[in-house]
Amino acid sequence: MMRALAIGGFAVSIVLFAVVEWAARREGSGIPSLADICAFVMRYEVGPVPVGRIGLFGFWWWLGWHFLAR
Amino acid sequence: MDHPRELTVEAPRAWDRPVVSVPVLICLSLVGGQLPSFSTAANLYILTTGGGLIWVGLNNRVPRRPAPRRLPSVALWWLVPVTVFGVFEGATFVMAAGDDFPTFSRLADPLLEDNLARSAAWFAWLSAFWGLVRR
Repeated sequence: MMRALAIGGFAVSIVLFAVVEWAARREGSGIPSLADICAFVMRYEVGPVPVGRIGLFGFWWWLGWHFLAR
Repeated sequence: MDHPRELTVEAPRAWDRPVVSVPVLICLSLVGGQLPSFSTAANLYILTTGGGLIWVGLNNRVPRRPAPRRLPSVALWWLVPVTVFGVFEGATFVMAAGDDFPTFSRLADPLLEDNLARSAAWFAWLSAFWGLVRR
């Protein structure tokens, strides 16, 4: 029962990600795409240090390591 | 004769075209898909590929697409899927009930044991990483 709840919850979140991305890609949509959100985050800098860029690259690398190497 | 700046388009470099980058990503993914979890080879491979992409992304050698200067308030819609995912990931992680109430990565592990699925996951990861580098 709890296992089904977890699977259902993750499935719902994935569907919601797809729905919001689909809404963002519609003609004339005001919702930014996930790529736009990432690009906005990566603009963040502290002085000359691209903190947003380093942070997002680091997060994505960690995600790959977590799923694909361990 | 000078052209107006907005009419000039920088020609993409050969390696920056999909006809080059996609086969390269496919080859890298096929190799990655053969490496088993927890192996030294898999760790070294992901260190090399990820490290290389981070190095390229932090240098200014790859042309980047323009980023939005600010986000509209409707961007908050993204919080809906993020919150749902975060609630379930947090709950499954904190309860640590194993297969009875599994985390997302625990659910993904059996799927990623298959070499083809693993290569597909590698391709998705590398493609998204390449997309981030060019942003």
